[in-house]
Amino acid sequence: MSQSDDSTVDLAEGIDHQVAMVMDLNKCIGCQTCTIACKTNWTESGGREYMYWNNVETKPGSGYPRDWEEMGGGWDESGEERTPGDLPDREDYGRAWDFNHEAIMYEGSDEPLRPLENADWGPNWDEDEGAGEYPNSYYFYLPRICNHCTHPSCVEACPRSAIYKREEDGIVLVDQDRCRGYRYCVEGCPYKKVFYNAETKTSEKCIFCYPRIEGEGPEGEVRPPSCAEDCPPQLRHVGFLDDEDGPIHKLVNEYEVAVRLHPEYRTEPNVYYIPPYAPPQTSEGGETLDAERIPRDYLEELFGPKVNEALNTISRERDRVRRGEESELMEILSTVNNDDQYRLEVFDDA
Amino acid sequence: MREDDGSVPDRTPESTLGSKLSREHVAALALVVTVVASAALLPTLADARPAYEIPVDYQQSSADLSEPSGEAWDSVPAASVPLSSAGASVPAADETSVESVRVEVARTNERLYLRLSWADATTDTSTDEISGFADAVAVQLPANQSERPPIAMGSTSNRVNVWYWSGTGEHEALLAGGPGTTTEIDEPTLRANATHEDGRWTVVFSRSMASDRANVTDVSPNRDMDVALAVWNGSNMERSGRKATSEWYYLALGPDTGGPPYEAILWSVAGLAIVFTTLVTIEGIRRTRGE
Repeated sequence: MSQSDDSTVDLAEGIDHQVAMVMDLNKCIGCQTCTIACKTNWTESGGREYMYWNNVETKPGSGYPRDWEEMGGGWDESGEERTPGDLPDREDYGRAWDFNHEAIMYEGSDEPLRPLENADWGPNWDEDEGAGEYPNSYYFYLPRICNHCTHPSCVEACPRSAIYKREEDGIVLVDQDRCRGYRYCVEGCPYKKVFYNAETKTSEKCIFCYPRIEGEGPEGEVRPPSCAEDCPPQLRHVGFLDDEDGPIHKLVNEYEVAVRLHPEYRTEPNVYYIPPYAPPQTSEGGETLDAERIPRDYLEELFGPKVNEALNTISRERDRVRRGEESELMEILSTVNNDDQYRLEVFDDA
Repeated sequence: MREDDGSVPDRTPESTLGSKLSREHVAALALVVTVVASAALLPTLADARPAYEIPVDYQQSSADLSEPSGEAWDSVPAASVPLSSAGASVPAADETSVESVRVEVARTNERLYLRLSWADATTDTSTDEISGFADAVAVQLPANQSERPPIAMGSTSNRVNVWYWSGTGEHEALLAGGPGTTTEIDEPTLRANATHEDGRWTVVFSRSMASDRANVTDVSPNRDMDVALAVWNGSNMERSGRKATSEWYYLALGPDTGGPPYEAILWSVAGLAIVFTTLVTIEGIRRTRGE
């Protein structure tokens, strides 16, 4: 490993530093601004129309692509053998619908504007449905990008080594010159965050907006990825996992309140989530009950057993603040200072 | 040689010899001739083609050889090449579906033509869907012929050329030095044409024989050349190392298209050994009888 000698953070072999992101799910309002920021930057055209490198899905829900959590990929329990994965169908992502624009705009039809046919699935088809019964129904939003994993099964899946973790910051990229469109990476990623472009005949994915973090973005400044910077509630922290003075290291490794999505896939994601703590359940009469609204079982299903201690810690720290005590953790989570949230130049002189 | 009535004719060269030989000796001599003749004739029989040989038919003119159904192919002998899963390290690598490919090879002074035909009921010609893969076929040749390269795409020190045709209609020339290393190379003289009829693909590759470029196979008209084949069935999600492949075969380009040059010699030596043994046995019996 080439990380600094005194580091206690595990990085992938041969990687100098590892970019990471922490998303606070308690702040997500499901507005899809991140989705559109990403799309307008990277996936507007050229065979990428169906792709959402960043998407926001409702949980519980089928997600994007539909039922991606049931499609396999990742690693087995030993962490050494890859688990077989499926290729999603175009329908699972959602096809672009044709609308009756022609009839309404040019032919004088007074029918309502609507898709012509096959409008039976698409991204966010099950938005806000969630689960549970009134008055204790529940859902939350889950923004997802490529996790730029430390142990990426997409990288291992490629027989041509066309997909790789780049040395300087661990961003996972597809070499468009080496890719021959075999789609083993699409099958191999358990988060289904590698996409096949049928026009270029290559696979493509989130690039963690690397031109922006390299200072090649707007105004020649170092900027966080668009999905983070354009987020109205500013729910993301962006930095390096091995920046031990940064908030990400504190949230992930010190307070252990930022947890991985589906750690059982064993790809070791570098996108982490502050789990949601919804209001408690209420009775039919509207009285607050001493019962959690989002079942812990469900959160464990998504984030693994570490979610329990994470929620307990957050709860404990909130109580401290309520008592008027100081909490470094709550300060990090409630900061409105972008300089604290985005730390991307700490290793520039290294 | 006349031997039908067993008599020894007069006033012929054989008569002098015959006067000194018994009937047994004449019979033995006949055996020698039969054996030697057989040695010369055997390689011309189709079922006696040496293992791994693919015959090459020389033609004066290219005529319609570049067409999958060209009449010029009518006179070209075919070889049936068995295929099996390549066993590469990709998921489901052993799940391949094409079991053999028919190969015909012709050449003119300028170009080499390979006509490959295999059974595939589905015409998979599109990669426009996420789970859509195209049928494909490839011909692998040593980049240079000093030593036979490893069958799985050669090695870094012993590279291969691959002519690749896809059901999408594209074809390309590739250079490889081991699995996962195929890289497109500029090869303007490579052509491919394909048809799908009666549940079979037929693809004709052709390329200029000669090449003076590094890493581009120079096909000599005077020397046998190694060749291996691969077929992919797109609807079975075959791509990359999930493919049905052959072992190394060779194109019989060398001057003796009947097989290795030592074959006739071996047959003759074996025949003469039999005759010698027969003669010794006969002589032994005669002496035992005291003749």
